[in-house]
Amino acid sequence: MTLSGWITLFAPLVGAVLITLGGSRIGRRTAGYIATASTMIAFVAAVVAFVIALGKSPDSRSQLSTAYTWIQAGSYQSGFSILIDQLSLLMMLIVTGVGSLIIAYSLGYMEGEDEERRYFAYMALFVFSMLLLVEGGNLILLLAGWGMVGLSSYLLIGFYHRRASAVAAAKKAFVMNAVGDATMAIAFFLLIKYTGSLSFSVLGQPAGNHWVLNVVALGLLGGAVAKSAQLPLQTWLPDAMEGPTPVSALIHAATMVTAGVYLIVRCNAAFEAAPHVQNLAAVLGALTLLMAGLIALVQVDIKRVIAYSTMSQIGYMFLGAGIGAYADAIFHLMMHAFFKATLFLAAGILIHALSGEQDIRKMGGLRKLMPFTFLAFLAGGLALAGIPPFSGFFSKDPIIASALARGGWFGDMLWVAGLAGALLTGIYTFRLIFRVFLGEPSAFVREHLHTEHGEGPISMRWTVAVLAVLATVAGFIQFPPFWEPVSNWLEPVAPPLVTPTNAQEIGTLLIGVTLGALGILIAWLIYGSHRFKAPKPSEILEEKFFFDELYDAAFYRPAVWLAKTLRRGFEEPVIDGSIAEVVVGTRDAARWTARLQTGLLRTYVFAIAASLAVLLVVFVAVR
Amino acid sequence: MNGPGIAWYLALAAFLFATGMLGVLLRRSPLIVLLSLELMLNGANLALIAFARQAGNLDGQIFALAVMAVAAAEVVVGLGLIVAMARKKLTLDVDKLSFLRG
Repeated sequence: MTLSGWITLFAPLVGAVLITLGGSRIGRRTAGYIATASTMIAFVAAVVAFVIALGKSPDSRSQLSTAYTWIQAGSYQSGFSILIDQLSLLMMLIVTGVGSLIIAYSLGYMEGEDEERRYFAYMALFVFSMLLLVEGGNLILLLAGWGMVGLSSYLLIGFYHRRASAVAAAKKAFVMNAVGDATMAIAFFLLIKYTGSLSFSVLGQPAGNHWVLNVVALGLLGGAVAKSAQLPLQTWLPDAMEGPTPVSALIHAATMVTAGVYLIVRCNAAFEAAPHVQNLAAVLGALTLLMAGLIALVQVDIKRVIAYSTMSQIGYMFLGAGIGAYADAIFHLMMHAFFKATLFLAAGILIHALSGEQDIRKMGGLRKLMPFTFLAFLAGGLALAGIPPFSGFFSKDPIIASALARGGWFGDMLWVAGLAGALLTGIYTFRLIFRVFLGEPSAFVREHLHTEHGEGPISMRWTVAVLAVLATVAGFIQFPPFWEPVSNWLEPVAPPLVTPTNAQEIGTLLIGVTLGALGILIAWLIYGSHRFKAPKPSEILEEKFFFDELYDAAFYRPAVWLAKTLRRGFEEPVIDGSIAEVVVGTRDAARWTARLQTGLLRTYVFAIAASLAVLLVVFVAVR
Repeated sequence: MNGPGIAWYLALAAFLFATGMLGVLLRRSPLIVLLSLELMLNGANLALIAFARQAGNLDGQIFALAVMAVAAAEVVVGLGLIVAMARKKLTLDVDKLSFLRG
């Protein structure tokens, strides 16, 4: 089982290294095949590990395999080790499964793109980073994977490095993530200081020291919030749409943004030891899901709408993890991976066919022209809106039901927020679908659509088809309260803190579906049948609640001001000035010394004779 | 020990040295400067030999021989330089030969 785990971990890295070393000696297609094959191998190995684990008793499914001692300093020790347990197995399956499908899709999408090889090397590296993150057997390896995910995302978001906006978006993502990396590092320093170790077993320690426990949990939450694009570190995610569409799909579905949810579930002991911080995670999730849902209502870029929906869905997962419904959060993570990958990749087909256009105002009437894409997008959209029998229906509502089971005004509030989010989800998802696919083809579509090769190359179609089918049927794996294999599977790793009663479960399910359907109806009335005029979008939503402006004013401008002030007040007068003084002083000293050298032989001889005489006198006198 | 005491020798050596030094300091012809330099060296040699005789060992005498060898070499180089300067029709005046001044 651990051997498969190691193969899963290193296959994508080998792929990335092969492509890099191969350089221009290997063809562009070959690079794509290497990346696809390496992640597929990883997926197969993960499946093997999963099957082996299925055959074991629940207690012996968790195995730590250490390759060697990686870091040793005093009494502190960390091995290069991987932890294969129920949670990491699920994550491995998602990362490699969805990841390899997305890379296979890229074969068609990136065809003819410059620097294809670099792209595929980065994609394989991205998958490796995420695998290191989920398989890492201690917190320091997790942090290493965490940082590498940040690096890979930076490289891929900025893939079109000739476009200034892409470079800026990459930098923004990196800086935002660095904030989270820093808070995590602080948490780890505290853990080393107070417990002397960074293995997962020290989470929740030192017992009783509330100050440390709270700061550690806050640090971890900071990292999770940054990586998962939750409030208040969410602004990088929509900008990250500057990368190629499969990269967005990879970031949103398989890797990266799900890392925060994984972290909270993996470190649940640390969060349960600091309940206030865990509540904060739930509140942040609830706020993010509402805010992102509202912003998604007015965005006009097809990828940005999907990006905000991701933010919103991750908000659900944070909400779930924050109230202790870990299995529900992970289950939603899985389902979200399927339907979000479907949506992004289908959107990629659209963008491809429309020569790179992403503005939904220019689209319309694509249903008849691109029936396959429409069906895939519809499947993803219905799953996103939580309409039965699509996958989102099975995974989203249990989280909301758990909020109700959490009880108290706090749980009730989260419950209301979750349901409001369900309504918003229905509206913004189907606003997108109705606008893009229904009606008569717009002038832009008639002019630019080219589907002479069908709807994209075969590699793009089969991957989307697989994902769309998964988005449609995968939800049946778990249907609380009737059958719950995922929850049972995860029970030993992350025992849930709340278990909703059957009445809460079913009631929430019914209300959730009704609200989702209501959302779709509203979207239909406005964007489908045009019965009502669309309300004028408010500025605060179009400007994304002014977070960019806020950070600009709070951090960017003061930093620039400080730098300018220091330059004018300190660097120019003190540093530059002192250097100028040193230069002038040296030159003056040299000029004075040069005067001693007359060039007259007698002067030199006189100097020698005189100093000799002085020495003689001194010698005699002292004696 | 026969002959005059060491003080006489040292006095003569000091006189030779001082004469040579005055020549080096005051004269301008490089040829005379070179001659005066020889005088200084010989003054020093005399002192060395006088001390060697006083102390009754040969160290000083050998040192004097070494100084003579160096002096011979120095004269060869110095005269060579002077001849070269004369050939280039430079004025033979050490005060005017100051091209090496920085």
